[in-house]
Amino acid sequence: MKKIAIGGLLLSLLMSLFLSACGKESSGTLTVYAGLYEDHAIKAIETFQKQTGIKVNYVRMSNGEILSRIRAERNSPKASIWFGGPADTFIQAKTEGLLEPYVSKNVEAIPQEYRDSEGYWTGIYVGSIAFVSNKTWLQEVGLQAPQSWEDLLKPEYRGMISMADPRSSGTAYTTLATLVQLFGEDKAFDYLRQLHQQNVIYTTSGSVPGRTVGMGEVGTAVMFSHDALKFYKEGFQNLIIGFPTEGTGYEIGAVGIIKGGPHQEEARQFVDWALTKQAQELGKQVGNYQQLTNRDAVAPEEAIPLEKLNVIPYDLDWAGQNRERLINKWTTEVLGVGKGKD
Amino acid sequence: MSAMFKRFKREPLLPILIVLVMLCLLVFIVYPLFQIAKSSFVGSTGEVGLQGYQRVLSGGGLFHALVNSLVLAVLTATLSTAIAYVFAYTFAYVKVPFKKLFNGIAILPVISPPFVIALSAMLLLGKQGLITKNLLGLENANIYGLHGLVLVQTLSFFPIAFLTLSGLLRSISPSLEEASQNMGASRLKTFLSVTLPLSVPGIANAFLLVFVQSLADFGNPMTIGGNYSTVAREIYLQAVGSYNLQAGAALAMVLLTVTIIVYILQNFWVGKKSYVTVTGKPTGQRRMIESGALKHGLFTFCMIMSIAVIAFYALVPIGSFIKLWGINNSLTLDHYKYVFSIGQKAVKDTLMLAIVATPIAGLLGMIIAFLIVRKRFFGKKALEVISMLSIAVPGTVIGIGYILAFNKAPLALTGTGIIIVAAFVVRSMPVGIRSGVAALQQIDPSIEEAATNLGASGSKVFTSVVLPLIKSAFFSGLVNSFVKSMTAMSAVIFLISAKYNLITASILAQVEAGRIGVASAYCTILILIMVVALILLNLLVKWMGGKERSA
Repeated sequence: MKKIAIGGLLLSLLMSLFLSACGKESSGTLTVYAGLYEDHAIKAIETFQKQTGIKVNYVRMSNGEILSRIRAERNSPKASIWFGGPADTFIQAKTEGLLEPYVSKNVEAIPQEYRDSEGYWTGIYVGSIAFVSNKTWLQEVGLQAPQSWEDLLKPEYRGMISMADPRSSGTAYTTLATLVQLFGEDKAFDYLRQLHQQNVIYTTSGSVPGRTVGMGEVGTAVMFSHDALKFYKEGFQNLIIGFPTEGTGYEIGAVGIIKGGPHQEEARQFVDWALTKQAQELGKQVGNYQQLTNRDAVAPEEAIPLEKLNVIPYDLDWAGQNRERLINKWTTEVLGVGKGKD
Repeated sequence: MSAMFKRFKREPLLPILIVLVMLCLLVFIVYPLFQIAKSSFVGSTGEVGLQGYQRVLSGGGLFHALVNSLVLAVLTATLSTAIAYVFAYTFAYVKVPFKKLFNGIAILPVISPPFVIALSAMLLLGKQGLITKNLLGLENANIYGLHGLVLVQTLSFFPIAFLTLSGLLRSISPSLEEASQNMGASRLKTFLSVTLPLSVPGIANAFLLVFVQSLADFGNPMTIGGNYSTVAREIYLQAVGSYNLQAGAALAMVLLTVTIIVYILQNFWVGKKSYVTVTGKPTGQRRMIESGALKHGLFTFCMIMSIAVIAFYALVPIGSFIKLWGINNSLTLDHYKYVFSIGQKAVKDTLMLAIVATPIAGLLGMIIAFLIVRKRFFGKKALEVISMLSIAVPGTVIGIGYILAFNKAPLALTGTGIIIVAAFVVRSMPVGIRSGVAALQQIDPSIEEAATNLGASGSKVFTSVVLPLIKSAFFSGLVNSFVKSMTAMSAVIFLISAKYNLITASILAQVEAGRIGVASAYCTILILIMVVALILLNLLVKWMGGKERSA
């Protein structure tokens, strides 16, 4: 059968072409694992390349995926920079010895509460937990936008609340850790159990509830205000953002260097660059509205300054160290008890 | 001893082939799985123990997820196989209009990332759904949960069952059925005592494939599962979300065990009987059912299913031109602009890797099927089981296993295209193997023996007798490999690198960011690429296999 032979020949030709294409990895390329939104990551990386002439490759993943990947690649790391995503994941990585400390020369511009004192990670943006509601729905049921954590326990909210699952989402863990720091552990878990009885819809990703609220699938979500702002700007104009009066928590988005990754010198340059005023101000150009950590950087006017909110003194190290314990407790004591009747 | 030598002399390539195939499977399936098994016993700080398993078997949540997954898989597999059988039967036995259309529609759900169906289900049947709210006026429609999952999974997976069954039903020799009817049996009697029993291996295969796919499905439970937790999702949550690879790996091992048991049961049940119907003796064309209530019934059923599938899919291209679904319904090309600027690389990379993976998976699948059904050698059972393992494992686990296994010399493959191609091949091959096995079991070995007696070599027999006879299975294997490669998500999400980006990862990122429009635009382009590729593939297979044996 000649045709098969020809086919096989073509195939092997294709394969060898492909393999030779795989072989040559250009040297001097910095690899970045980005936990930011894709558009934000691309904007930042393109600007960095233009300004420094350093070539950058990036992969966008969720933060948990980035950590799993760095862990798995521990023996021969492929990437050098971890760019964006909540600092508690960085803290976890730090305790596992996956990060390389680096105190940037630009670190003075960043307030101390937004960075690791040893330089394992440095904050680049800040965002706070908010209630995000659908205006139309609120009108339909005759409610005001929720003002307090307590409000969410009203019967009208039954089946209409969405938040992410703390097992997979940094947003949801920030919420969980906020509540424990705010109310104390016992009271916080009491509250979470009652909230669970409202038939909360848990999502995997922290930003997804913004879309479901915008589409009217649910009425209110507990999520980051900057994620909600992004949805608002995308066109979900019926979103309304409010903050709990009892107090709310926040996340710090960070950047850090992966231990043992290639091109450590270029990686340090990247961190230096990411802390500058100009780099931090890039986000808003592509629709990202976090508060910025650089004192001189001008935050987008849409972003809600933490000073205006009742923000708890969020203890990041505590949150990072208690993460596994609190999530396990949440899984067995809140999720495990079953939900209320429909 | 001399017998063995004779065998070797006649088929010198066979042992080499077997060793090569075995080696591939060992490196790309067994070794990564071994790494995962290993990590199920090792905690994050390096201590060895059974904590992972304790957590699965004691903790109510994880065990509950296992039960949930099994319930879901049984429901989905039963429904999918039943629907696929009706489709395949109509296709092979009934003269109905729009056959090409039905065929296309049955394949359609395969050629899109599964969470697209979940997305459409939300748009159609959610609280603000087109059907539920606007058409039926339901207030509190809830698509999240078991019923939503069964619906979405059935729509996603019945095509796999269809591809397995249609090739098989078409190759059932009409002469047996004619004999039955000539002896006075009614059509129903003929169906029950001839056609149905002959299609048992196909049904069992289809059921097994869907069952396993449902178990390992990750995209749908993530989007539409609501609070109905399943194992694949739980593995992801443990391994990725809670950074607890040990518990995730332990859960994966439990899931793997369940799948292997199902596989063994199925094999035990089907494997021992003979289903030979292609004997090499001339057979006539099948007389198609041309009229009667049966025809109309089947036609109506296929029509309704097709309309349902179309409704689910029409939303995707429509959505790609709409600014913001349900909020701002004005038309726009913005989403395509985004895809063609930022997403271009992902489209190119995915296409290239899938093109490389498809023929490898297709051929390897048929070779393994051939070895399993026709040849006797040491380790055959192992080959059979190992080759099926990869679909039993949730993609996330395969992905993590690959990173663990191929991160250091001599197999430092992470970051290369090879590792992605390997994952594509390993994930898509089992479907090809199953349909190849089902097709081969129907073909009388005497045809091959005749060729051998006439002096053909082993490879000659394979290429000019076996391959043409199992052409439709081969084709469905190729189609499946290509499609699975283009739409693979969970396995490769860990394997994408800065150098190789994949469309599905981009789509997932867009879905997470709530940009349904951009996600739909990606999907539309993906579907277009696959339709074009399928047409080309079909032509290629026709050209390679010569004239079609039977219509």
